[in-house]
Amino acid sequence: MIPELGQGTLFVALGLAVLGTGLAVAGGRTGRTALVESAQHAALGVFALLTAAFVLLVYAFLTFDFSVRYVAHNTNLGTPFWYRITGVWGALEGSLVLWAWMLALYTVVVAARHRERARVFHPWVLATLLGVLAFFVSVMTLAAPPFTRLAPVPADGRGLNPLLEDTGMITHPVALYLGFTGFTVPFAYAVAALVTGRLGDDWIQLTRRWTLTAWYFLSLGLLIGGWWSYHVLGWGGYWAWDPVENAAFMPWLTGTAFLHSIMIQERRRMLKLWNLALVILTFSLTLFGTFLTRSGVIASVHAFTQGAVGAFFLGFLALVVLLSLGLLAWRWDALRAQGELDSVVSRESAFLLNNLLLVGATFTVFFGTIFPLLSEALRGVKVSVGAPFFNQVNVPLFLGLIFLMGVGPLIAWRRASLDNLRRNFLGPVAAGVVAAAVFHRLGAGSALAVLALALTVFVAATIALDIGRATRARLRMGERLPAAVLGLLVRHHRRYGGFIVHLGVLLVAVGVTGSQAWSVQTEATLERGQAAELAGYRFRFDRLDAAEASNHFKVIATFSVSNGRSTGAMHPAKKFYPQETTPIAAVDYRTGLVEDVYLVLGDFARDGSRATVKIQVNRLVTWIWIGGAVLTLGTALALLPERRKAA
Amino acid sequence: MKKKFVVGGLVILGALGYLVYAGLTQSAVYFVTPSELAAGPVPGKAYRLGGLVAPGTLEWHPRTLDLRFALTDGKSTVPVRHRGTPPDLFAEGRGAVVEGAWTAEGYFRAQQIFAKHSEEYQAPPSEAHRAGYEELLRTLRGEPR
Amino acid sequence: MSRLLRWLVPLAAVPVLALLAYAFRLDPREVPSPLLGRPAPAFALTAFDGRPLSLAEHRGRVVVVNFWASWCFPACYEEAPVLEEGWRRWQEQGVTVVGINIQDTEDRARKFLADFGLTFPNAPDPGGRVSIEYGVYGVPETFFIDRRGYIRHKHVGAVTEAVFREQVERLAREPAPPAAGT
Repeated sequence: MIPELGQGTLFVALGLAVLGTGLAVAGGRTGRTALVESAQHAALGVFALLTAAFVLLVYAFLTFDFSVRYVAHNTNLGTPFWYRITGVWGALEGSLVLWAWMLALYTVVVAARHRERARVFHPWVLATLLGVLAFFVSVMTLAAPPFTRLAPVPADGRGLNPLLEDTGMITHPVALYLGFTGFTVPFAYAVAALVTGRLGDDWIQLTRRWTLTAWYFLSLGLLIGGWWSYHVLGWGGYWAWDPVENAAFMPWLTGTAFLHSIMIQERRRMLKLWNLALVILTFSLTLFGTFLTRSGVIASVHAFTQGAVGAFFLGFLALVVLLSLGLLAWRWDALRAQGELDSVVSRESAFLLNNLLLVGATFTVFFGTIFPLLSEALRGVKVSVGAPFFNQVNVPLFLGLIFLMGVGPLIAWRRASLDNLRRNFLGPVAAGVVAAAVFHRLGAGSALAVLALALTVFVAATIALDIGRATRARLRMGERLPAAVLGLLVRHHRRYGGFIVHLGVLLVAVGVTGSQAWSVQTEATLERGQAAELAGYRFRFDRLDAAEASNHFKVIATFSVSNGRSTGAMHPAKKFYPQETTPIAAVDYRTGLVEDVYLVLGDFARDGSRATVKIQVNRLVTWIWIGGAVLTLGTALALLPERRKAA
Repeated sequence: MKKKFVVGGLVILGALGYLVYAGLTQSAVYFVTPSELAAGPVPGKAYRLGGLVAPGTLEWHPRTLDLRFALTDGKSTVPVRHRGTPPDLFAEGRGAVVEGAWTAEGYFRAQQIFAKHSEEYQAPPSEAHRAGYEELLRTLRGEPR
Repeated sequence: MSRLLRWLVPLAAVPVLALLAYAFRLDPREVPSPLLGRPAPAFALTAFDGRPLSLAEHRGRVVVVNFWASWCFPACYEEAPVLEEGWRRWQEQGVTVVGINIQDTEDRARKFLADFGLTFPNAPDPGGRVSIEYGVYGVPETFFIDRRGYIRHKHVGAVTEAVFREQVERLAREPAPPAAGT
C-alpha cells in the first residue's frame, strides 16, 4: 500500500509544481495577482505533498516495510532506531526526497515572507523556484522513484552502508543540502531581476540574508564532511580532492565570491555583471554537483549509482545554464557599472581581486575534476588527477585570499592614500614579519608553512587593530569595556560578524597548515606486550577482544599509550557486518589542541597474539573544528535582525 | 585606467593558466592495464595499474609490513610490492587498482592500493557469513569450539 | 560589448556541456579489456548438470558468457531473469547463453539456479582459471562473443534487457563462418 500511496503523492506533487510554474509565469507576464496567488497555493500544496511523502518514507523505514525496494536496500532488522530515520537520505532516491522537501520549504517561506515587498519580482521568483522544484520531483517520479515496490517481499533487508552509521553522516547531507538548496533563492531573484529589468540593488538586498544562510550551511556541511572523513574513514585525512568533494567545494568558492562582491554593488553600484554571473555560476555548480554524484560519470568514493538520473540532471543543467546566461546576454547593456574603478589600491579593487582569485580557484578545481574526461575524449588516454595537482595550484591562490581577508575590510574606498595604508597596515605587516621570523627560528620547517602562519598573524592583527580602535573610541565616550565591545558588535553586527567569520577561517587555515606541515605517521606489527614509538608517544599492544552489537560484530584491540607523563588506553577496532563482505575500520583517537593521536587497526592474528596498527600524530587538526564553531558564531551575529528597518 | 586593469587581469589569467598546465602535466597519473604496462614500462613515471590479484601470488609479511602480489588482466602479469597493511577489500582473485611507479629492479612499487568497491559486491545476509564471524569471535575470546 | 559578442557568454557553456554529455557514454568502471576484438579464450568445464560445457562446441553461434556468483546481490539477481529470457527468446536464432559461477560454493550456486529457474548451461569454474583468462575483475561481468569466436563486447555490472538485445541483435545478424573441417 505504501509504495502506491507514496508514488501517487509524488505524481500529484509533480502536476502541481508544473501547474504552479505555469501560473507564476502567466502571472508575471500579465500582472494579474490572482494568478500569482494561485501559484502560491500550488507551492503550498507541493510542500504539503512532499512532507507527506517524506513522512511516509520515514514511516516505512521505522516499520521495516520491506515491500518498498528502497527500504529493503537501505535497512535491515538490526539497524538501530536513529539510523533507520537518517538512513532515509542515505542513498540516491531518499536524498532526492530530502532535497526536494527542503526546496519546497524554502519556496513556501519565500512566498510567505516576501509577499508584501517587491511585488514585481515575486511571480518570477516563484516561477523559478517552482520550476526547479518541478524538475526534482520529476526525477523522483520518472527516473529514481523512492517508492518502487519489491516483490516478493524479502524477510530481511540489505542494511545501511555501515560507513553511514555515524553522527557525522546524519548531519553532513542535511547541512550540505540546506546550503545547496538555499542558493536557489538568490538565483531565483537574479532571474527575476533579469526578466523584469530591475537590475539595481533590490534583488540583492532581498536575498542577502538567504545568501549568508546558504553559504553558512554549505560551509558547515563541508566541515562536517571533513570531520567525518577524519574520524570515520580511517585514513587520517579530512579532504581528498575527491570529485564529489570538489563538486561541493566549487559552489562554496563562487558563493563566497558572491557574498563579498554584492557589498561592492551595494556601496558603489559596481560589479553588477559579476554578481549576476556569480550567482548563476553558484547555482549551476550546485546542479553540477548533483549531476556528478548521481550520474556515475566520475568514479568516486561518494558516487551513487548511475542510470537515467544522470541524463535528467545533465539536461536540466544545460537548460538552466543556457537560459540564465541567455538572459544575462540579453540584459547586457543595462548592466553597466555606475561607478568606476579609481585605483588599484582600493577596497573595490581588493574585492575584485577576491572575485578573481576565488573564480580562479573554482576554475582549477573544475578543470582538475573534468580533466580525466577531457583526456579520454580528446586523446583516448585515461588519467587520474589527484591531490598533488589541486594542492599545487590552489595553495598560492588560498594564500592570496588570506592576505585579502586582512586588506579588504580596512583599506579605503576609491583610492587609498599612503596615510591610510600606513595607519591600517603598518602595524599588522610588522606583526606578520615578526611572526615569520619567530616561526622560522622555532623551526617551523617549510617556507610555505611559515608564510601561511605569517599571513594569518597579519590578518588577525588587522582585525585586532580595527576592534581595538573602535572600542577605544567608545571607551573615550565614557562606556565601560564589556559594554563597549558588546555594543560595538551588535551595532555593527554585519561588519563584526564578518570579522568573526574571518577569524574562524583563520583558525581553519592554521589547522590545515599545521596538519599538512607537521603531522607524522608510522605503521607497525606488534606482538602482545610489544610497543612502537612515535613523536614522543609509546604504543604498547595489550590484547584483542570481541563484542557483539545489534547488527555487527566487533574486534577490539587495546593499546596502552603513554607520553612520559600519563598513560591511557586506546581501542581501535574492526566492525564486521554480515551483509558486507569485508570489515569496516573503527578508528580510535585522542584529540587535543596541539595534536591528535590516531590509531587504525589493520591486520590481526586470529588468536589475538599479533596486531598491525597504523599510528598517526596529527598536529593542530582540532583548530579546524574550532574554526568551524567560531564561523557559526560569526554568522549568527551577522544574521541578527536589523535594528532599524530598511526603507 | 581601463587598459591597466585589462592588462592586469590578463596577466593574472595567464599566470593561472600556466599554474594549471604545469600542475596537470606534472601530476596527472596514467591508467594502464598489466598488458599496457608490460609492453613498455617507463621507470619513475606515475601510473595507476588495474587488474586482478592473481591467485597464489599474494605474500603478506606483517612483521616487516612487506606486501607482495601480482596483478593480471588475463594476458600479462605484473609483480607489485607495497609497504603497509593491505586495505580491507583486498584479496586474491579480486580486482584492485594500485598507484605508484615502475622500478628499475623489475617490479611495480605501489604507494597506494585501492581495492575495487562497488554495489555489485555486497552479499545478502547469509548463514555461512554469520557462522564465519561467530567462529572468529569464539577464537578471539579463547572459547572452546 | 558589441551586440553579437555578448552571446558568446551562453555559447561558451556549450562545449563544456557537450563534454559532459559525451562523458555519459564512457563508463569509468570499464577499464578497457585487452581481449576486445581477440579470440575468446577456450574453456572446457563440467556443468552443474554433469554435462561437458565448452566454448568450442558453440562455434558458429553467438555466445553470451556471463560470470556470476550467488552472493552478488543485487546485480546478479537483477540480471538472471534477463539472461534467462534472452536465452529462451534467442536460442532459435543461434544464440547461446552460458553462465560461469566463480568464487562460490556448490550448494549456494545450485540454489541460485533453482530459485531463478535458469535453463541455460551453467558451470562452476574451479580455481577460477577461466575467470582469470577472461580478465574478470568481479561479478557480474558478461562477454558477448560472435559467431567466429571473437570477443566483441564486455559488460560490467548487471546486464539489462536493452544491452542484451542490442549486442545480440547486431551479432546474430552476422553470417556464420563456413564450417571448417570438423
